[in-house]
Amino acid sequence: MTTRAVEAWTLQPLVKFTKEAEARLVLLMTSAGQVMAQHGFSRAVEVMSAAALGAAIIASTAEMAKELKQPPFAALSHQGERHGIFLAGFGTPRGMLVALVVYDIEVSSVGLVQLFFEQFVADLQAACPKEGVPKQVLAADFERELSDSLKTLFGR
Amino acid sequence: MSLVNFTTREITCKIVYYGPGRSGKTTNLHYVYGRVPDARRGRMVSLATQTDRTLFFDFLPIDLGQISGFATRFQLYTVPGQVYYNATRRLVLQGADGVVFVADSQARQLDENLESLQNLQSNLLEHGVDVRAMPLALQYNKQDLPRELILSQADLDDALNFRGVPSFAADALHGVGVFETLKGISELVLKRLAAGSTA
Repeated sequence: MTTRAVEAWTLQPLVKFTKEAEARLVLLMTSAGQVMAQHGFSRAVEVMSAAALGAAIIASTAEMAKELKQPPFAALSHQGERHGIFLAGFGTPRGMLVALVVYDIEVSSVGLVQLFFEQFVADLQAACPKEGVPKQVLAADFERELSDSLKTLFGR
Repeated sequence: MSLVNFTTREITCKIVYYGPGRSGKTTNLHYVYGRVPDARRGRMVSLATQTDRTLFFDFLPIDLGQISGFATRFQLYTVPGQVYYNATRRLVLQGADGVVFVADSQARQLDENLESLQNLQSNLLEHGVDVRAMPLALQYNKQDLPRELILSQADLDDALNFRGVPSFAADALHGVGVFETLKGISELVLKRLAAGSTA
């Protein structure tokens, strides 16, 4: 199973949580649906779809909570025939993050996931660097490469 | 906001296709999906009504390959165009790196285009983003319709393109202008990234 982190500080807490909760897939994302770390997905483009859906669910239920004049829901959980999902948002010094956890119901449970999730959040909050992300620099000729890439994609 | 990983040299950017209902936002994504090789795209996710109108969003991740040594991926989203879905439009706009405004070229749709453009400005402001600071491209779709029904690109530029941003005439159903629009917005987004300023 692959575990990858876009920001290195998320990796250790993610590996620890995945093992403890016996999760099948774990996805850590920003509230805008950008992937920060993941365990168990094989293709980057697939993990992006899951992140878009997870962030959308959290965003829409937060709006529902606003309508009810209450703080956002702490977590959401669904259990299917073979898998269950657990979805929750939480604050960090880098802003709000969202975690999506998928587990096999024969191996783990929502209780087990919840049991270790609080520690996962605490570990992430402790590991999160306080300073900002460095500015990114692309090479001056990126437009030619972009043009070539798009031409290849569209078969032109 | 785009996500950049210097260790693994990856860039992920979010581009939102915005515009009034039935202007062709989902059609743009369907065309892109149909033309991009399997290995370079993910599944197209559509949260739609039973009549296939976008309810929340459409989503298509594409892998552009290496740009300046970075594995570059774009997340393409559409919003629902109907006026009453504003709450979901605002949510989808969160964290956008660039916006493609898909206008319906039909003369009778001009008011809807203007209303949607104003709605874009207002929703961006709610996220603390000035529309003038957001990479934006305009696409004038349905230019294949009979001339007496549509406005020309010059007329639409006069009516909608206050900022003088790149604009593209299109017939998204047949792919005309779809590639050019995506290329246009991609350049704007990556130029902004290269300049080191983020939303």
